[in-house]
Amino acid sequence: MTAAIDIRAVTRTYGHATALDNVSFRVPEGSICGLFGSNGAGKTTVMSIIAGHDRPSSGEALVLGDTPFEHEVTGQRISFIRDNQRYPDNYQLKHVLRIAPEFAPDWSAEVAAELVEGFRIPAKTPIKKFSRGQLSAVAIVLGLASRAPVTLFDEPYLGLDVGARTLFYDVLLRDYGRHPRTILLSTHLIDESESLFDRVVILNAGRVAVDCDRDEARELAVVISGAADAVGRLTAGRTVLQTRAIGSLSSVTVTGIADEALLADARRAGVQVESASLQQLVAAYGATAGNAAEHTDHQSTRTTQQKEAAAA
Amino acid sequence: MNAITSVVKLHLNRRVVALLVPLFIVAVVVVISILISLLFLRGGSVPGSTVWVNASRSNTGMLFSLAGFLVSMGVASAATTFPFALALGATRRAFTLGTLAWNILQAAYLTVVFAVLTLLELATGHWFAGFYIFDITILGAGDLAKLIPIVFLSVLALLSVGGAFGASWVRFGARGPQVIAAVAAILIIVGLIIALPSASVLIANFALWWLAVAGVVLVVIAMVGIWLPLRTATVR
Repeated sequence: MTAAIDIRAVTRTYGHATALDNVSFRVPEGSICGLFGSNGAGKTTVMSIIAGHDRPSSGEALVLGDTPFEHEVTGQRISFIRDNQRYPDNYQLKHVLRIAPEFAPDWSAEVAAELVEGFRIPAKTPIKKFSRGQLSAVAIVLGLASRAPVTLFDEPYLGLDVGARTLFYDVLLRDYGRHPRTILLSTHLIDESESLFDRVVILNAGRVAVDCDRDEARELAVVISGAADAVGRLTAGRTVLQTRAIGSLSSVTVTGIADEALLADARRAGVQVESASLQQLVAAYGATAGNAAEHTDHQSTRTTQQKEAAAA
Repeated sequence: MNAITSVVKLHLNRRVVALLVPLFIVAVVVVISILISLLFLRGGSVPGSTVWVNASRSNTGMLFSLAGFLVSMGVASAATTFPFALALGATRRAFTLGTLAWNILQAAYLTVVFAVLTLLELATGHWFAGFYIFDITILGAGDLAKLIPIVFLSVLALLSVGGAFGASWVRFGARGPQVIAAVAAILIIVGLIIALPSASVLIANFALWWLAVAGVVLVVIAMVGIWLPLRTATVR
């Protein structure tokens, strides 16, 4: 499948700080991809580069086949409203709704009106006085109503209540079904939004820790829980992503799948083994921040496994 | 071209600020100028006398009262409109050219406003009471051939200089405007140090077109000052 977003060995440094370190991943055209990672993992930076708001220090980012930075045609096909988006002084909702269609050829006034009503976005209040949730609502209106072929959502529902988030999911899926597009969405509400995604990319300390289909992600790690000494014996020799301990109990997230051998050992030791959920996986990689070599090894291993599976 | 037009429309989107606030400021200055004239009248000055005319024409309030607003508008065009333009999909090049086009439109709009009001002032015998508000020395003393380039270039230069300050803030944070202000001050002082010994010669040969050339050069420098920082600015 053609990649709408193709990130090739992108590194981005700010002075001595490395925000992205040799990041590569592809997002197939027409897919919804979740971009996960702990705070500071590099999610917004990579989105900025995809949107053409920033340039890589090295490497290449292609969107719809072109480098997005200062590329007018590509720019008009991307929607990216930041979680801390700045609006011109004295802007009200009407200003946003009046100018956005000028830049978005596929703008849907119906979708915008539905979301404005559903989110109950104030019409007269200056945007700079909006609450966190109301700012998120405006960003969602811009993102969804633009119907841009590549739509980026950066923490789209910060401050939104559960009803507003449900509206977002409903309109997103309905409009995506009618007007397919490529969506890259970063969020910390992983359990809630997991079913949206075809693919997932997990960033950790500026590196790609996981890049795979959503269902594959459920097979990347297991959580082993029980008596600390028994868990310790079972996890010996495995790549540990995260360890949590309460008294004599511990819960350890390790890479790999819950194969028959592991399950049999677990039964004998009286410990519980379950596949790590996507949220647990993201949290586990977040906990390993700084252990970059381990991530690289894991990514290489997984990529090799994928290649072998594809070859078979 | 479409992208540049879209940026112009983005600037025009705040219509009240763009079109009505300058008129409001002009109206306030008119009222204040009339009040000051009345003050002189009560003090014994005679409308139409040479002293009255010369004193009234030396009032620079009309131009300078707009200066602050225009610079702040220029700053806002880069500091807050640029990040939103980028979010909507504009390129930096389209934004800079669109901003230049918008500044030219805004300058033309205010030039027309000033020209019409000046003609009205002249046609009504200075508002039927000898009030000199637009027929003032700094605006060409009622000569439209002078007023039009003075207002147009002044407005364009003020908006562009404001834009350069705003762009430097987007790119470099608080240090940007500070450095620009410091460099500008140094250049002006050095220029004065060089020119001062020849001041009498310069004044004797002064021609209005010098100011026009200086205005155009200032606009070009300011627009470059917008483009260069925004070209590499990272919106975060």
